[in-house]
Amino acid sequence: MKADVVVVGGGIIGCACAYYLSSAKKRVILVERGEICSETSSSCDGFVILQSKSPGIHLELALESAARYECLDRELDCELEYRRTGGMIVIETQEQLAVMEAIARRQEAGGLPVQMLGPVEARRREPVLSRHILGATYSPLDGQVNPMHVTLAFARAAARNGATLMEHTPVLELEAPGGVLWGVRTNRGFIAAPAAVVATGVFAPELLEPLGLEVPIRPRRGQVLVTEQAPPLLTGVMLCARYLAIKYRPELAQDASDPGLRLGVGFGLEQADSGNILISNTREFAGFDKNPTPEGIREILRYATRLAPALEHLHIIRAFAGLRPYTPDGLPLLGQVPGTQGVWVAAGHEGDGVALAPITGLLMSQLVSGTGPAFPVEPFSPGRF
Amino acid sequence: MNAETVLCRCEEVTREEILEAIAAGATTVDGIKRRTRAGMGLCQGKTCSRLVARELAQVLNTHPAHILPPRPRPPVRPVKISDWRCNHEG
Repeated sequence: MKADVVVVGGGIIGCACAYYLSSAKKRVILVERGEICSETSSSCDGFVILQSKSPGIHLELALESAARYECLDRELDCELEYRRTGGMIVIETQEQLAVMEAIARRQEAGGLPVQMLGPVEARRREPVLSRHILGATYSPLDGQVNPMHVTLAFARAAARNGATLMEHTPVLELEAPGGVLWGVRTNRGFIAAPAAVVATGVFAPELLEPLGLEVPIRPRRGQVLVTEQAPPLLTGVMLCARYLAIKYRPELAQDASDPGLRLGVGFGLEQADSGNILISNTREFAGFDKNPTPEGIREILRYATRLAPALEHLHIIRAFAGLRPYTPDGLPLLGQVPGTQGVWVAAGHEGDGVALAPITGLLMSQLVSGTGPAFPVEPFSPGRF
Repeated sequence: MNAETVLCRCEEVTREEILEAIAAGATTVDGIKRRTRAGMGLCQGKTCSRLVARELAQVLNTHPAHILPPRPRPPVRPVKISDWRCNHEG
């Protein structure tokens, strides 16, 4: 077998890379050790939230990615359930209020419209919220999408472009003698290729470490609860200020006596097109265990009903958990592995994989093709740690 | 059973839609679920997952016992959020 580029990993990032590379006329083979969209990309929420991105290049990428989502359903010829619903970061304490005011100012300067809402206005927009909240930041550009539809649609569109999708095909080794990639050895044979994109999220370290790259990606478990289908209860997507703080400062969750805080419990609410409400989320380091836990479910519900008591009458029909690829600085690894020729990586998006998938795929296609990315990619350099 | 037979009653998914998902590349019950929503409803696939597995086995020309069951997810039946909190808070 021969290809111009082998994409390793059939999650939302790998499928996006396969789509954009095949659109750029590359002969692409995508290999996935299980089924397309069977790990993190099918065990997550559907947030395309710009307010959770760090002001700067991270936010810039997210803005560009969200703009691509606007026309992606037409481009991929598939209903992706993308909606710019507007989104809120809910504020509960004076301390959070001060932090969020500062973040909102920096985001505004970075090109994201954000406004501060008082408690009355926040509850007018989202009546499920509790009377005790102090307010929220609001951006009209935040939204949501169905991540499984996106992943599968990218894969299908890549196949229409001529890409080959090989499922149930684990990669045994990236063969790069002297750092120069020859190809990819799989359980179904050798694929000769001058370039490979490793897009295996939490599983990226096991492929890259044999090449001498230290990859500080760690699996961080996120538990999500799904309610029965309900009439429209939410206008937009919601997160809480505490959850954002834990994202960038995990030590905040480490030495806490509050069991919810220790699990990194945050407040995330989203009503899917089907009517089901997704209540999330935890940020836990629990190895590769992706089972939801009684403690996690209990703490998510305790916190969610504190901020949104109106949820209490709904039924939970399902709980699931996924492994988010955490990196120490909250940014993904995008670029060529230092000291190699042809070994590329696109992994480590933690909870931003859905929001950043379109721009990541496009960027990787430009990098691998040598057509020059439109963004400075140094902050994402895989060798930065 | 014909093409219009509803296999997943909660999400109203027909046999034809299940077969289309298999044709589109689904190779597991969970893969079919992600493409069609079969098994995502109130009963969480208690009834349909076996019917779906049978369709998959037929297309793959294997015995339904060889089809991997869907990943089990708690809770076993729908639980009202207020009840859940009462029962778990000591």
